[in-house]
Amino acid sequence: MIGKRKRDTSVVSRSTTVDEEEAPPTTTDASAHDVFRRFFEAQFLPVELPGGPVSRNTEDAEGEHDKEESEESDSGSEWGGISEPEDEGNKVEVVEHTGLPTKADDVVDKKARKAFMSGKVPSFSLDTTTKTNTASKDKDEGAEEETDAENLKNDLALQRLLKESHLLESASELAPTGKNRHKALDLRMQSLGSKTSIYQQNMPSSIRRGIKSKATQKEDKRRREARENGIILERPAPKSKSNSGQRMRGVGGPSVGKFTGGTLNLSKRDVAALQGPSRPAKGKSKGRR
Amino acid sequence: MATSQPPLRFTSHKNLPYRLVLATLTGRTVHISGIRSSSPTNPGLAPHEISFLRLLEAVTNGSQMEISYTGTILVYKPGLITGSSAGTGASSSSGVIRHELPAGCSRGLSYFLVPLCLLAPFSKAPMKVLFTGPGVITSATPTGDMSVDTVRTAILPLYNQFGIWNNIELRVLRRSNPGPNGKGGGGEVQLVFGHQVRLPKTLHLMNPGRIKRIRGVAYSVGVSGSNNARMIETARGILNPLVKDTYVFSDVSSAPLIPAPERNNPSAKKKIGLGFGLSLVAESSTGCLFSADVTSPPSGGQPPEDIGKNCAYQLLEAISKGGCVAPAAAPTMLSLMTMGSEDVGRLQVGRDVIADENMIRLARDLNKFGVPGWGLRDAGGDNEHGDVIISVVGRGIGNVGRKVA
Repeated sequence: MIGKRKRDTSVVSRSTTVDEEEAPPTTTDASAHDVFRRFFEAQFLPVELPGGPVSRNTEDAEGEHDKEESEESDSGSEWGGISEPEDEGNKVEVVEHTGLPTKADDVVDKKARKAFMSGKVPSFSLDTTTKTNTASKDKDEGAEEETDAENLKNDLALQRLLKESHLLESASELAPTGKNRHKALDLRMQSLGSKTSIYQQNMPSSIRRGIKSKATQKEDKRRREARENGIILERPAPKSKSNSGQRMRGVGGPSVGKFTGGTLNLSKRDVAALQGPSRPAKGKSKGRR
Repeated sequence: MATSQPPLRFTSHKNLPYRLVLATLTGRTVHISGIRSSSPTNPGLAPHEISFLRLLEAVTNGSQMEISYTGTILVYKPGLITGSSAGTGASSSSGVIRHELPAGCSRGLSYFLVPLCLLAPFSKAPMKVLFTGPGVITSATPTGDMSVDTVRTAILPLYNQFGIWNNIELRVLRRSNPGPNGKGGGGEVQLVFGHQVRLPKTLHLMNPGRIKRIRGVAYSVGVSGSNNARMIETARGILNPLVKDTYVFSDVSSAPLIPAPERNNPSAKKKIGLGFGLSLVAESSTGCLFSADVTSPPSGGQPPEDIGKNCAYQLLEAISKGGCVAPAAAPTMLSLMTMGSEDVGRLQVGRDVIADENMIRLARDLNKFGVPGWGLRDAGGDNEHGDVIISVVGRGIGNVGRKVA
């Protein structure tokens, strides 16, 4: 046994099943050896072992002896004396058959090596899972479709969760209810191609302003109370600057004033801007000079 | 915090790293005197001990240490364990502390690693340390240190049992055996210990189980890789009949080069740390780990077959001592249990493991640090080896840096 292991390369896995197949007990079971030998000889040329057979079954040995005898009879009968010491000298002859490790073993070895020799602390439980995984894969191939469907379902749920997770911060459940459900539905509609959100509808500006002011009031109240109670809240979100600044004007429109009903209306400010400063700064500039 | 308390007084250089680690963890000042004071040639602290002090200073904030003129007296006042947070000892960008070991260092890297790993779970920030320099010996040493591979495969997995498992890595960037006369090496190792906890979990480990697999690493540095094959072959010859599931991985690397300037060639380099060695780890069905380490002596002259055989026998000896913990890992386990929550943890150890000189010294030191004593009783059940169960009461202090959540 040990002798056989010697020849293996440095890293060799020895799972029990493979071992039993690969390593037939060499010394104890000579008959098994002979079976292999006969099989080999049937396939290829007869093997000429230098020292003759290790041990023989009676049947095989007889056949061999017959051959030898026929040869001996050809050469002469006095050779019988010499063949005896030859047999004595060849009593113990250990033949080691070594096979190269199979390729599948190499792959497993590489994985195990990578897992073990990396910088990570080796988790011993994961070492030999590669084999069992492949085995189990064959077994439950039928169940794969089921798991595929399951995976698809889970994937959809995950996508939705990722998209709508900002709605869920206060909700305890994953399935949104009430207002959150409406918002989630709206998001899904938009993702499916709806042009407008139900929350972006047109409404009179007074109502919109009312909604906004109410929201700011609420926020102010929340912050004030938190401050009074000594609770530190998140920083207020920076106000969006999209509204501030110049409005985008259409192409070809007047660069000044407002064109309504076929007339260009100029506000007082526009006029003032056109006229420039009412008092040209003559005196000042002179005075400075 | 420690100002009101008088320093704890110890003598001799023995168990110095554990004393310093315990001082840091408990926040007590220690005064260690009589450090090799009787040695006429090399009195005082050795290079590796100085290096360890430097390492402690790098991973803590506010530590003070005073060493007497002869180096025979050391006063250490610990600071907070900060780890490698930016702006402390770490190089600013990567947050990695770079620790160089001097050429005269004769101890293996595990001398530094094992105590450092004890500190790391209690640090404020992740502990990232890169060990370089002409004194880094990654292999086992004749001075009795284990190899870096054993630390990674037999010591660090134990932290898992205390709930410390995430983001722990020990990368061997370059291997090195001990150099000439067992001094120096040129290895490079990076430790990343990124799991900091408030308190380690209470451990109850009382079932040794049965050995189910053996893993190992055979390394040869600067010598032929066939040495690995020969070590593995012999070790497997002994172990395979006992445990079928035995893998030993082989790692061949070239010898590290360290600068050795000469007068006419200032950029000259020399090879150092040639040799080979074997590290074996056995795992039981309940997750207990036993390890063995043998390396070729720096003087050479030992065939790899002997190394493989010795290592296999050493592993069998470690297993035969019984209990749930190998002698090499027992100090780590018991220290972590001591630092746990205020609860009684139990650990079954072999009688020979607890009857070891180092263990008794550790127990005495812990006692001096104000830790309640261990409770010892014979293990119940079919206890054929005469195992002992140690009951350890945790101190419940844990990570001071993590106290404010």
